[in-house]
Amino acid sequence: MNTSVLSLAGIEKVFPNGVRGLSPVDLTVEKGDFVTLIGPSGCGKSTLLKLIANLHTPSGGKMNWWGGNFGDVGRKGRRMAFVFQDATLMPWATIAKNVRLPLDLEKVDRATADKRALAALERVGLGHVTEHYPAQLSGGMKMRVSIARALVTEPDLLLMDEPFGALDEFTRNRLDEEMARLCYEDGLTTLFVTHALHEAAFLSSRVMVMAARPGRIHAQYEIDRSILRNEEFRLSDQFAGISRELAILLEDASRESMIQQEVRA
Amino acid sequence: MMSSRTFSLLAPVTLGIIILGIWEGVCRFWHIPPYLMPSPSAIWRALMLDGVALLHALLITLEITFAALIAAVVGGVLVAFLLVQSPLIERCLMPYVVIMQVTPIVAIAPLIIILIHNTPLALTACAALVAIFPVISNTLQGLRSVDPDLAAYFQMHKASRLQTLTRLRIPSALPMFMAGLRIATGLSLVGAIVAEFVAGTGGNSAGLAYQILQSGFQMDIPRMFAALFLITVAGLVLYTAAASLQRFALRHRS
Repeated sequence: MNTSVLSLAGIEKVFPNGVRGLSPVDLTVEKGDFVTLIGPSGCGKSTLLKLIANLHTPSGGKMNWWGGNFGDVGRKGRRMAFVFQDATLMPWATIAKNVRLPLDLEKVDRATADKRALAALERVGLGHVTEHYPAQLSGGMKMRVSIARALVTEPDLLLMDEPFGALDEFTRNRLDEEMARLCYEDGLTTLFVTHALHEAAFLSSRVMVMAARPGRIHAQYEIDRSILRNEEFRLSDQFAGISRELAILLEDASRESMIQQEVRA
Repeated sequence: MMSSRTFSLLAPVTLGIIILGIWEGVCRFWHIPPYLMPSPSAIWRALMLDGVALLHALLITLEITFAALIAAVVGGVLVAFLLVQSPLIERCLMPYVVIMQVTPIVAIAPLIIILIHNTPLALTACAALVAIFPVISNTLQGLRSVDPDLAAYFQMHKASRLQTLTRLRIPSALPMFMAGLRIATGLSLVGAIVAEFVAGTGGNSAGLAYQILQSGFQMDIPRMFAALFLITVAGLVLYTAAASLQRFALRHRS
Protein backbone atom coordinates (compact mmCIF):
# COMPACT_ATOMS: atom_id res chain seq x y z
CA MET A 1 0.00 0.00 0.00
CA ASN A 2 1.29 3.42 -0.89
CA THR A 3 0.67 5.67 2.09
CA SER A 4 1.55 9.34 2.25
CA VAL A 5 4.37 10.42 4.51
CA LEU A 6 2.09 12.98 6.06
CA SER A 7 -1.60 13.70 5.73
CA LEU A 8 -3.43 16.50 7.50
CA ALA A 9 -7.20 16.86 7.26
CA GLY A 10 -8.89 19.89 8.78
CA ILE A 11 -6.05 20.51 11.24
CA GLU A 12 -6.66 23.70 13.23
CA LYS A 13 -5.15 25.40 16.22
CA VAL A 14 -6.81 27.78 18.63
CA PHE A 15 -4.40 29.05 21.28
CA PRO A 16 -5.41 29.08 24.96
CA ASN A 17 -5.87 32.88 24.74
CA GLY A 18 -8.57 32.38 22.10
CA VAL A 19 -6.45 33.47 19.16
CA ARG A 20 -7.06 31.35 16.09
CA GLY A 21 -3.56 30.42 14.98
CA LEU A 22 -4.57 28.13 12.21
CA SER A 23 -7.94 27.63 10.55
CA PRO A 24 -8.56 24.14 9.10
CA VAL A 25 -5.63 23.08 6.93
CA ASP A 26 -5.41 20.13 4.57
CA LEU A 27 -1.96 19.03 3.50
CA THR A 28 -0.47 15.87 2.07
CA VAL A 29 3.24 15.18 1.73
CA GLU A 30 4.37 12.29 -0.44
CA LYS A 31 7.69 10.48 -0.36
CA GLY A 32 10.41 12.51 -2.04
CA ASP A 33 8.50 15.81 -1.87
CA PHE A 34 10.17 19.06 -0.94
CA VAL A 35 7.26 21.07 0.39
CA THR A 36 7.82 24.66 1.47
CA LEU A 37 5.51 26.70 3.68
CA ILE A 38 5.85 30.41 3.02
CA GLY A 39 3.83 33.41 4.10
CA PRO A 40 3.73 36.67 6.05
CA SER A 41 4.47 36.53 9.77
CA GLY A 42 1.53 35.31 11.80
CA CYS A 43 0.33 32.99 9.04
CA GLY A 44 0.92 29.98 11.26
CA LYS A 45 3.65 28.31 9.20
CA SER A 46 5.82 27.60 12.23
CA THR A 47 2.76 26.55 14.23
CA LEU A 48 1.85 24.08 11.51
CA LEU A 49 5.37 22.64 11.53
CA LYS A 50 5.30 22.30 15.33
CA LEU A 51 1.93 20.54 15.14
CA ILE A 52 3.45 18.07 12.71
CA ALA A 53 6.43 17.59 15.06
CA ASN A 54 3.91 16.95 17.86
CA LEU A 55 5.30 19.88 19.85
CA HIS A 56 1.79 21.39 19.86
CA THR A 57 -1.50 19.53 19.98
CA PRO A 58 -4.06 20.50 17.35
CA SER A 59 -7.44 21.84 18.49
CA GLY A 60 -9.19 19.85 15.81
CA GLY A 61 -8.72 17.76 12.68
CA LYS A 62 -6.97 14.55 11.86
CA MET A 63 -3.27 14.02 11.29
CA ASN A 64 -1.49 10.88 10.15
CA TRP A 65 2.20 10.09 9.97
CA TRP A 66 2.87 7.30 7.47
CA GLY A 67 -0.77 6.35 7.82
CA GLY A 68 -0.44 5.86 11.58
CA ASN A 69 -0.39 7.98 14.70
CA PHE A 70 2.50 9.73 16.45
CA GLY A 71 3.14 6.82 18.79
CA ASP A 72 4.74 4.91 15.91
CA VAL A 73 6.90 7.79 14.75
CA GLY A 74 10.55 6.98 15.39
CA ARG A 75 10.32 3.38 14.24
CA LYS A 76 12.21 2.22 11.19
CA GLY A 77 10.78 3.80 8.06
CA ARG A 78 8.95 6.42 10.14
CA ARG A 79 11.78 8.53 11.45
CA MET A 80 11.31 12.25 11.72
CA ALA A 81 13.98 14.89 12.30
CA PHE A 82 13.64 18.57 13.10
CA VAL A 83 15.99 21.44 12.37
CA PHE A 84 15.36 24.67 14.25
CA GLN A 85 15.88 28.28 13.24
CA ASP A 86 18.97 28.36 15.45
CA ALA A 87 21.46 25.52 15.38
CA THR A 88 20.28 24.56 18.91
CA LEU A 89 23.46 22.67 19.79
CA MET A 90 24.62 21.73 23.27
CA PRO A 91 27.45 24.23 23.96
CA TRP A 92 29.05 21.89 26.51
CA ALA A 93 29.47 18.97 24.10
CA THR A 94 31.83 18.39 21.18
CA ILE A 95 30.48 18.44 17.65
CA ALA A 96 30.66 14.63 17.49
CA LYS A 97 28.67 14.32 20.71
CA ASN A 98 26.12 16.85 19.48
CA VAL A 99 25.54 14.91 16.28
CA ARG A 100 25.43 11.62 18.20
CA LEU A 101 22.72 12.91 20.57
CA PRO A 102 19.63 11.39 18.89
CA LEU A 103 21.44 8.03 18.68
CA ASP A 104 22.50 8.27 22.33
CA LEU A 105 18.89 8.97 23.32
CA GLU A 106 17.91 5.82 21.43
CA LYS A 107 20.72 3.96 23.22
CA VAL A 108 22.52 3.00 20.02
CA ASP A 109 25.89 1.52 21.01
CA ARG A 110 28.83 3.90 21.20
CA ALA A 111 30.95 2.57 18.31
CA THR A 112 28.06 2.49 15.85
CA ALA A 113 26.89 5.93 16.97
CA ASP A 114 30.38 7.40 16.51
CA LYS A 115 30.68 5.91 13.04
CA ARG A 116 27.28 7.21 11.95
CA ALA A 117 27.94 10.65 13.45
CA LEU A 118 31.17 10.95 11.51
CA ALA A 119 29.45 9.83 8.32
CA ALA A 120 26.69 12.43 8.83
CA LEU A 121 29.27 15.16 9.47
CA GLU A 122 31.16 14.17 6.33
CA ARG A 123 27.94 14.47 4.36
CA VAL A 124 27.72 18.15 5.30
CA GLY A 125 31.46 18.66 4.76
CA LEU A 126 32.42 18.86 8.44
CA GLY A 127 34.28 15.60 9.01
CA HIS A 128 37.29 17.55 10.29
CA VAL A 129 35.72 19.31 13.29
CA THR A 130 34.40 16.37 15.33
CA GLU A 131 36.36 17.31 18.45
CA HIS A 132 35.63 21.05 18.26
CA TYR A 133 33.05 22.78 20.40
CA PRO A 134 30.11 24.77 18.98
CA ALA A 135 31.58 28.07 20.21
CA GLN A 136 34.56 27.54 17.88
CA LEU A 137 32.38 27.31 14.76
CA SER A 138 30.80 29.96 12.54
CA GLY A 139 27.03 30.33 12.23
CA GLY A 140 26.93 28.50 8.92
CA MET A 141 29.03 25.63 10.25
CA LYS A 142 26.82 25.31 13.33
CA MET A 143 23.77 25.08 11.07
CA ARG A 144 25.52 22.34 9.10
CA VAL A 145 26.13 20.47 12.37
CA SER A 146 22.45 20.85 13.15
CA ILE A 147 21.61 19.32 9.76
CA ALA A 148 24.09 16.50 10.39
CA ARG A 149 22.35 15.82 13.70
CA ALA A 150 19.10 15.48 11.75
CA LEU A 151 20.66 13.28 9.04
CA VAL A 152 22.34 10.92 11.50
CA THR A 153 18.99 9.32 12.34
CA GLU A 154 18.46 8.63 8.61
CA PRO A 155 15.12 10.43 8.71
CA ASP A 156 12.23 9.60 6.44
CA LEU A 157 10.86 13.11 6.94
CA LEU A 158 12.91 16.20 7.66
CA LEU A 159 11.16 19.23 9.19
CA MET A 160 13.00 22.56 8.98
CA ASP A 161 11.80 25.75 10.65
CA GLU A 162 13.40 28.75 8.88
CA PRO A 163 16.76 27.07 9.31
CA PHE A 164 18.91 29.55 7.42
CA GLY A 165 17.12 32.75 8.40
CA ALA A 166 19.98 34.05 10.52
CA LEU A 167 22.71 33.42 7.95
CA ASP A 168 24.20 35.72 5.35
CA GLU A 169 23.03 35.39 1.76
CA PHE A 170 26.16 33.65 0.51
CA THR A 171 26.19 30.96 3.22
CA ARG A 172 22.47 30.53 2.83
CA ASN A 173 22.74 29.88 -0.91
CA ARG A 174 25.46 27.26 -0.35
CA LEU A 175 23.33 25.49 2.25
CA ASP A 176 20.26 25.66 0.00
CA GLU A 177 22.26 23.88 -2.68
CA GLU A 178 23.27 21.19 -0.19
CA MET A 179 19.64 20.77 0.87
CA ALA A 180 18.56 20.43 -2.74
CA ARG A 181 21.15 17.70 -3.23
CA LEU A 182 19.94 15.82 -0.14
CA CYS A 183 16.35 15.94 -1.28
CA TYR A 184 16.53 15.51 -5.03
CA GLU A 185 19.51 13.15 -5.23
CA ASP A 186 19.21 11.20 -1.96
CA GLY A 187 15.40 11.27 -1.89
CA LEU A 188 14.98 12.90 1.51
CA THR A 189 11.37 14.03 2.04
CA THR A 190 11.42 17.56 3.44
CA LEU A 191 8.96 20.05 4.85
CA PHE A 192 10.57 23.47 4.96
CA VAL A 193 9.36 26.72 6.51
CA THR A 194 10.82 29.97 5.22
CA HIS A 195 9.92 33.60 4.71
CA ALA A 196 12.45 33.98 1.91
CA LEU A 197 10.84 33.83 -1.50
CA HIS A 198 13.99 33.01 -3.46
CA GLU A 199 14.72 30.11 -1.11
CA ALA A 200 11.25 28.65 -1.68
CA ALA A 201 11.62 29.11 -5.44
CA PHE A 202 15.01 27.42 -5.45
CA LEU A 203 14.29 24.42 -3.24
CA SER A 204 10.69 23.36 -3.49
CA SER A 205 8.84 20.83 -5.53
CA ARG A 206 5.68 22.34 -4.04
CA VAL A 207 5.17 25.69 -2.35
CA MET A 208 2.26 26.28 0.02
CA VAL A 209 1.60 30.01 0.20
CA MET A 210 -0.05 30.89 3.50
CA ALA A 211 -2.05 33.91 4.63
CA ALA A 212 -2.54 35.26 8.14
CA ARG A 213 -5.38 36.12 10.51
CA PRO A 214 -6.35 33.39 10.72
CA GLY A 215 -3.44 31.30 9.44
CA ARG A 216 -4.47 29.31 6.38
CA ILE A 217 -3.22 27.96 3.08
CA HIS A 218 -3.87 30.56 0.43
CA ALA A 219 -2.43 28.94 -2.68
CA GLN A 220 -0.37 26.02 -3.88
CA TYR A 221 2.37 26.19 -6.50
CA GLU A 222 4.09 23.22 -8.11
CA ILE A 223 7.64 23.37 -9.45
CA ASP A 224 9.11 20.84 -11.87
CA ARG A 225 11.07 18.32 -9.79
CA SER A 226 13.39 17.41 -12.67
CA ILE A 227 15.08 20.83 -12.64
CA LEU A 228 18.68 20.58 -11.51
CA ARG A 229 18.87 22.88 -8.47
CA ASN A 230 22.30 24.43 -8.84
CA GLU A 231 24.03 27.77 -9.29
CA GLU A 232 23.02 27.82 -12.96
CA PHE A 233 19.33 27.42 -12.11
CA ARG A 234 19.57 30.33 -9.67
CA LEU A 235 20.69 32.60 -12.51
CA SER A 236 18.21 31.27 -15.08
CA ASP A 237 15.13 32.98 -16.53
CA GLN A 238 13.15 29.98 -15.36
CA PHE A 239 14.09 30.74 -11.74
CA ALA A 240 13.21 34.40 -12.26
CA GLY A 241 9.83 33.35 -13.66
CA ILE A 242 9.07 31.05 -10.74
CA SER A 243 10.13 33.77 -8.30
CA ARG A 244 7.86 36.31 -9.99
CA GLU A 245 4.84 34.02 -9.92
CA LEU A 246 5.48 33.19 -6.28
CA ALA A 247 5.89 36.88 -5.49
CA ILE A 248 2.46 37.58 -6.99
CA LEU A 249 0.87 34.81 -4.88
CA LEU A 250 2.65 36.01 -1.77
CA GLU A 251 1.64 39.61 -2.40
CA ASP A 252 -1.93 38.42 -2.77
CA ALA A 253 -1.73 36.44 0.46
CA SER A 254 -0.31 39.29 2.48
CA ARG A 255 -2.88 41.75 1.04
CA GLU A 256 -5.63 39.40 2.15
CA SER A 257 -4.04 39.13 5.57
CA MET A 258 -4.10 42.92 5.81
CA ILE A 259 -7.76 43.14 4.76
CA GLN A 260 -8.69 40.63 7.44
CA GLN A 261 -6.85 42.73 9.95
CA GLU A 262 -8.73 45.88 8.92
CA VAL A 263 -12.09 44.11 9.05
CA ARG A 264 -11.28 43.15 12.62
CA ALA A 265 -10.19 46.62 13.61
CA MET B 1 54.07 46.33 25.02
CA MET B 2 53.07 44.17 27.98
CA SER B 3 50.12 41.82 27.77
CA SER B 4 46.81 43.00 29.21
CA ARG B 5 46.99 40.18 31.73
CA THR B 6 50.32 41.35 33.13
CA PHE B 7 49.01 44.90 33.16
CA SER B 8 45.83 44.01 35.04
CA LEU B 9 48.01 42.39 37.68
CA LEU B 10 50.75 45.00 37.76
CA ALA B 11 48.50 48.07 37.97
CA PRO B 12 46.71 47.26 41.26
CA VAL B 13 49.93 45.92 42.83
CA THR B 14 51.71 49.19 42.01
CA LEU B 15 48.85 51.18 43.49
CA GLY B 16 49.00 49.01 46.63
CA ILE B 17 52.73 49.62 47.04
CA ILE B 18 52.25 53.39 46.64
CA ILE B 19 49.48 53.44 49.26
CA LEU B 20 51.55 51.33 51.68
CA GLY B 21 54.46 53.73 51.15
CA ILE B 22 52.36 56.80 51.91
CA TRP B 23 50.80 55.05 54.93
CA GLU B 24 54.25 54.15 56.30
CA GLY B 25 55.53 57.67 55.65
CA VAL B 26 52.58 59.37 57.34
CA CYS B 27 52.87 57.12 60.43
CA ARG B 28 56.59 57.80 60.76
CA PHE B 29 56.55 61.49 59.97
CA TRP B 30 53.81 62.44 62.44
CA HIS B 31 54.82 59.77 64.96
CA ILE B 32 51.31 58.32 65.05
CA PRO B 33 51.11 55.88 67.98
CA PRO B 34 50.55 52.22 66.90
CA TYR B 35 47.39 51.88 69.05
CA LEU B 36 45.75 54.54 66.86
CA MET B 37 47.08 53.53 63.48
CA PRO B 38 49.97 51.11 63.18
CA SER B 39 52.36 51.50 60.27
CA PRO B 40 52.60 48.65 57.71
CA SER B 41 56.02 47.74 59.10
CA ALA B 42 54.59 47.41 62.62
CA ILE B 43 51.82 45.19 61.28
CA TRP B 44 54.41 43.07 59.50
CA ARG B 45 56.43 42.75 62.76
CA ALA B 46 53.27 41.66 64.61
CA LEU B 47 52.59 39.11 61.91
CA MET B 48 56.13 37.71 62.19
CA LEU B 49 56.01 37.69 65.99
CA ASP B 50 52.64 35.99 66.30
CA GLY B 51 52.60 34.25 62.93
CA VAL B 52 52.31 30.69 64.22
CA ALA B 53 49.35 31.42 66.49
CA LEU B 54 47.62 33.50 63.83
CA LEU B 55 48.17 30.90 61.12
CA HIS B 56 46.80 28.25 63.45
CA ALA B 57 43.72 30.42 63.98
CA LEU B 58 43.43 30.96 60.23
CA LEU B 59 43.50 27.21 59.68
CA ILE B 60 40.62 26.75 62.12
CA THR B 61 38.60 29.44 60.38
CA LEU B 62 39.34 27.89 56.99
CA GLU B 63 38.24 24.47 58.23
CA ILE B 64 34.88 25.93 59.16
CA THR B 65 34.75 27.83 55.86
CA PHE B 66 35.28 24.68 53.79
CA ALA B 67 32.90 22.56 55.85
CA ALA B 68 30.27 25.29 55.48
CA LEU B 69 30.90 25.59 51.74
CA ILE B 70 30.50 21.85 51.22
CA ALA B 71 27.33 21.83 53.33
CA ALA B 72 25.95 24.83 51.45
CA VAL B 73 26.68 23.34 48.02
CA VAL B 74 25.29 19.90 48.82
CA GLY B 75 22.29 21.30 50.69
CA GLY B 76 21.68 24.10 48.18
CA VAL B 77 21.76 21.80 45.16
CA LEU B 78 19.42 19.32 46.87
CA VAL B 79 16.96 22.09 47.77
CA ALA B 80 17.12 23.47 44.22
CA PHE B 81 16.39 20.03 42.76
CA LEU B 82 13.50 19.65 45.19
CA LEU B 83 12.08 23.07 44.31
CA VAL B 84 12.25 22.45 40.57
CA GLN B 85 10.24 19.20 40.84
CA SER B 86 6.84 20.83 41.07
CA PRO B 87 5.36 24.33 41.25
CA LEU B 88 3.50 23.29 44.41
CA ILE B 89 6.70 22.40 46.26
CA GLU B 90 8.26 25.66 45.12
CA ARG B 91 5.28 27.72 46.22
CA CYS B 92 5.33 26.04 49.63
CA LEU B 93 9.08 26.25 50.26
CA MET B 94 10.30 29.35 48.47
CA PRO B 95 9.00 31.88 51.04
CA TYR B 96 10.98 30.10 53.75
CA VAL B 97 14.11 30.10 51.64
CA VAL B 98 13.69 33.86 51.24
CA ILE B 99 12.98 34.34 54.97
CA MET B 100 16.19 32.46 55.69
CA GLN B 101 18.04 34.76 53.35
CA VAL B 102 16.68 38.07 54.67
CA THR B 103 17.23 37.27 58.36
CA PRO B 104 20.68 38.61 59.30
CA ILE B 105 22.99 35.81 60.39
CA VAL B 106 24.19 37.87 63.37
CA ALA B 107 20.63 37.75 64.70
CA ILE B 108 20.19 33.97 64.42
CA ALA B 109 23.75 32.97 65.28
CA PRO B 110 23.30 33.15 69.11
CA LEU B 111 20.26 30.88 68.81
CA ILE B 112 22.14 28.34 66.71
CA ILE B 113 25.09 28.42 69.09
CA ILE B 114 22.75 27.69 72.01
CA LEU B 115 20.92 24.94 70.11
CA ILE B 116 24.03 23.17 68.83
CA HIS B 117 26.43 22.37 71.66
CA ASN B 118 29.35 21.37 69.48
CA THR B 119 30.89 24.78 68.74
CA PRO B 120 32.64 24.02 65.42
CA LEU B 121 29.42 22.41 64.21
CA ALA B 122 27.39 25.44 65.27
CA LEU B 123 29.83 27.78 63.52
CA THR B 124 29.67 25.64 60.38
CA ALA B 125 25.88 25.73 60.47
CA CYS B 126 25.89 29.55 60.70
CA ALA B 127 28.35 29.93 57.85
CA ALA B 128 26.49 27.41 55.70
CA LEU B 129 23.26 29.29 56.28
CA VAL B 130 24.89 32.44 54.90
CA ALA B 131 26.34 30.67 51.87
CA ILE B 132 23.41 28.46 50.89
CA PHE B 133 21.13 31.07 49.34
CA PRO B 134 23.15 31.90 46.21
CA VAL B 135 23.62 28.17 45.62
CA ILE B 136 19.87 27.55 45.83
CA SER B 137 18.76 30.51 43.74
CA ASN B 138 21.46 30.13 41.09
CA THR B 139 21.04 26.38 40.72
CA LEU B 140 17.28 26.82 40.53
CA GLN B 141 17.59 29.46 37.85
CA GLY B 142 20.17 27.31 36.08
CA LEU B 143 17.91 24.27 36.05
CA ARG B 144 15.26 26.46 34.46
CA SER B 145 17.52 28.14 31.91
CA VAL B 146 17.27 25.26 29.48
CA ASP B 147 17.12 26.33 25.83
CA PRO B 148 13.41 25.74 25.02
CA ASP B 149 14.24 24.51 21.51
CA LEU B 150 16.74 22.02 22.89
CA ALA B 151 14.13 20.87 25.41
CA ALA B 152 11.67 20.45 22.53
CA TYR B 153 14.30 18.43 20.68
CA PHE B 154 14.67 16.05 23.65
CA GLN B 155 10.89 15.75 23.86
CA MET B 156 10.62 15.02 20.15
CA HIS B 157 13.17 12.26 20.45
CA LYS B 158 11.22 10.77 23.33
CA ALA B 159 14.04 11.20 25.84
CA SER B 160 13.37 9.76 29.30
CA ARG B 161 13.19 11.94 32.41
CA LEU B 162 16.63 10.72 33.48
CA GLN B 163 18.17 11.41 30.05
CA THR B 164 16.70 14.90 30.04
CA LEU B 165 18.07 15.52 33.52
CA THR B 166 21.61 14.27 32.98
CA ARG B 167 22.08 15.27 29.35
CA LEU B 168 20.20 18.55 29.31
CA ARG B 169 19.16 20.07 32.62
CA ILE B 170 22.33 19.54 34.64
CA PRO B 171 24.75 20.74 31.92
CA SER B 172 22.44 23.70 31.21
CA ALA B 173 22.47 24.62 34.90
CA LEU B 174 26.25 24.49 35.21
CA PRO B 175 27.08 28.13 34.31
CA MET B 176 24.57 29.51 36.80
CA PHE B 177 25.64 26.98 39.42
CA MET B 178 29.32 27.94 39.02
CA ALA B 179 28.45 31.62 39.48
CA GLY B 180 26.54 30.66 42.64
CA LEU B 181 29.48 28.62 43.87
CA ARG B 182 31.82 31.59 43.45
CA ILE B 183 29.56 33.82 45.53
CA ALA B 184 29.05 31.07 48.11
CA THR B 185 32.82 30.64 48.53
CA GLY B 186 33.23 34.25 49.62
CA LEU B 187 30.13 34.11 51.78
CA SER B 188 31.33 30.97 53.59
CA LEU B 189 34.38 32.84 54.82
CA VAL B 190 32.29 35.86 55.81
CA GLY B 191 29.81 33.56 57.57
CA ALA B 192 32.56 31.70 59.43
CA ILE B 193 34.13 34.94 60.70
CA VAL B 194 30.79 36.46 61.72
CA ALA B 195 29.79 33.27 63.54
CA GLU B 196 33.12 33.22 65.38
CA PHE B 197 32.60 36.81 66.43
CA VAL B 198 29.19 36.00 67.87
CA ALA B 199 30.37 32.79 69.52
CA GLY B 200 33.50 34.44 70.88
CA THR B 201 35.08 31.03 71.23
CA GLY B 202 38.40 31.07 73.04
CA GLY B 203 40.90 28.37 73.85
CA ASN B 204 42.55 26.02 71.45
CA SER B 205 39.82 26.05 68.83
CA ALA B 206 39.81 29.83 68.43
CA GLY B 207 39.58 31.13 64.89
CA LEU B 208 40.82 34.39 63.45
CA ALA B 209 37.77 36.39 64.54
CA TYR B 210 38.55 35.57 68.14
CA GLN B 211 42.16 36.69 67.61
CA ILE B 212 40.84 40.03 66.35
CA LEU B 213 38.51 40.39 69.33
CA GLN B 214 41.26 39.49 71.78
CA SER B 215 43.75 41.86 70.18
CA GLY B 216 41.12 44.59 70.45
CA PHE B 217 40.67 43.98 74.16
CA GLN B 218 44.44 44.16 74.61
CA MET B 219 44.74 47.27 72.45
CA ASP B 220 47.20 45.28 70.30
CA ILE B 221 46.17 47.07 67.13
CA PRO B 222 49.09 45.87 64.92
CA ARG B 223 48.12 42.27 65.71
CA MET B 224 44.51 43.10 64.83
CA PHE B 225 45.66 44.36 61.46
CA ALA B 226 47.84 41.29 61.01
CA ALA B 227 44.83 39.01 61.56
CA LEU B 228 42.78 41.15 59.20
CA PHE B 229 45.54 40.86 56.60
CA LEU B 230 45.43 37.07 56.84
CA ILE B 231 41.64 37.04 56.40
CA THR B 232 41.96 39.24 53.32
CA VAL B 233 44.63 37.02 51.80
CA ALA B 234 42.55 33.91 52.51
CA GLY B 235 39.48 35.54 50.96
CA LEU B 236 41.45 36.53 47.89
CA VAL B 237 42.88 33.04 47.43
CA LEU B 238 39.43 31.47 47.84
CA TYR B 239 37.89 33.88 45.34
CA THR B 240 40.63 33.26 42.79
CA ALA B 241 40.33 29.50 43.22
CA ALA B 242 36.56 29.60 42.74
CA ALA B 243 36.87 31.87 39.71
CA SER B 244 39.48 29.55 38.16
CA LEU B 245 37.25 26.55 38.77
CA GLN B 246 34.39 28.41 37.12
CA ARG B 247 36.53 29.29 34.11
CA PHE B 248 37.76 25.72 33.85
CA ALA B 249 34.29 24.18 34.04
CA LEU B 250 32.95 26.51 31.34
CA ARG B 251 36.06 26.66 29.16
CA HIS B 252 34.36 25.33 26.03
CA ARG B 253 31.30 27.50 26.12
CA SER B 254 32.39 30.93 25.03
